[in-house]
Amino acid sequence: MNRRYRFILRMCVVLALMASAFAVKVGEPAPGFTAVDSTGKQQRLSDYKGKFVVLEWHNQGCPYTKKHYESGNMQRLQKEWTAKGVVWLTVISSAPGTQGFVTPSQENDYLKTMNAAPTAVLMDPGGSLGHLYSAKTTPHMFIIDPNGTLIYNGAIDDHPTSDQSDIASSKNYVSAALEQALGGKPVAEAATHPYGCSVKYKD
Amino acid sequence: MTRLCFAIAVLLLLTSAAAIAQQGSTQHAKVELISRQVAVSPGKHLLLGVHFVLEKGWHIYWTNPGDSGQPPSFKWQLPSGFTAGEIRWPRPERLQPSKELVDYGYDDEVLLPVTIHVPLAISDRSAEFAADAKWLICREVCLPEHASLHLTLPVSSSTDLNQQHSQLFAKTDKLIPQLLPRAWNASAASRKDDFVLRIRAGKPIVKAEFFPLDPGQIDNPAPQKLQPTSNGAKITLKKSDLLLKPITVLRGVLVIPEGPAYQIEAPVRQPIQ
Repeated sequence: MNRRYRFILRMCVVLALMASAFAVKVGEPAPGFTAVDSTGKQQRLSDYKGKFVVLEWHNQGCPYTKKHYESGNMQRLQKEWTAKGVVWLTVISSAPGTQGFVTPSQENDYLKTMNAAPTAVLMDPGGSLGHLYSAKTTPHMFIIDPNGTLIYNGAIDDHPTSDQSDIASSKNYVSAALEQALGGKPVAEAATHPYGCSVKYKD
Repeated sequence: MTRLCFAIAVLLLLTSAAAIAQQGSTQHAKVELISRQVAVSPGKHLLLGVHFVLEKGWHIYWTNPGDSGQPPSFKWQLPSGFTAGEIRWPRPERLQPSKELVDYGYDDEVLLPVTIHVPLAISDRSAEFAADAKWLICREVCLPEHASLHLTLPVSSSTDLNQQHSQLFAKTDKLIPQLLPRAWNASAASRKDDFVLRIRAGKPIVKAEFFPLDPGQIDNPAPQKLQPTSNGAKITLKKSDLLLKPITVLRGVLVIPEGPAYQIEAPVRQPIQ
């Protein structure tokens, strides 16, 4: 293989990787990542190939996150779906000094206090995982299927408020999508407008 | 002595019959319910408004808040036979919390007018208006706030404007998007990754900004590319990652800097397959 051809091939691969990194569209491959969780363990999306993965963007001080945690709603979802073999990854992209930023030990304390049950919490203070997924709000939910395809991107439910009293009458998009997908059906509402506080990115 | 007491009593009654407004003051905003007119006139529309004065650095949101946030909402308690219309939203500002997000809202001060439909027959001498206002106010953090607003107005045939608020209502009127002039035309073409919004105005438009009314259609942070044409402009708007199905109308507000804002309802032409 001549040099020029090899160079072009290499550039094509780089461009392909870049292109896939910026696509967060339902129906397309979900961007791969490596991140460190709150126990210090390295987590890769590829580790979970063959399983459904939920990504939950989180900021414990945000009124919309509090709506789902103080009511126990998020913890209920985490328990229900991890019991069915779904991998639940909470992601914290708050930059140091911003609302929602926590040290790993603070996060582990929070998980105990709140009785939360994600598979792991990914610490993303630099925001690179957030930017990779174009995560906009807390909460912002993504679901990836066992083949690595993004099958849901959007809001947790259909009542974009910070009122706990709205949860009972809300349609939970995440549960609906997982029920359909685990049942081998296409996700009816695969992309919705996420609501919440803006993710507190660095810069 | 009795005449003096009587006079004082009448004076007190008169002042209390005039507009009685109650404000809500929350952590970062002063909010009040005000009226454009001094009195409620049977059968004539009444223009009320919820006036927000925000603490420096804090902002509230437009009807489409953009990538994050939540717009203010009002729950009205009105006298029998009265009905409240929708909020007449002044044109928003573009707010950018980070490179990932763009929101639409207001900082500093905003008046959100609401038309109240007044029945022809009113039995009372005064009308009491109440609104349960809820809103999200943000700076680097967001706080849900609320206030119970009240306003009592006398009922009379007077159509006098309230001098205290006339300037504010007039200024706000200019900020509310107007209907597209009859001679103008707005249409859009849908391409794979973007919409091209075409405005025909009879003259070139060199600068304008489009604010989408419906969330999840346009990618809010993406720069809008405006190309002036001999009779208007073409504006390229990147589609949102969340847009999975074709849309038939692109609705929003077109703001001309230092100029008017227009309501846009552009029929969307799909690409020829």
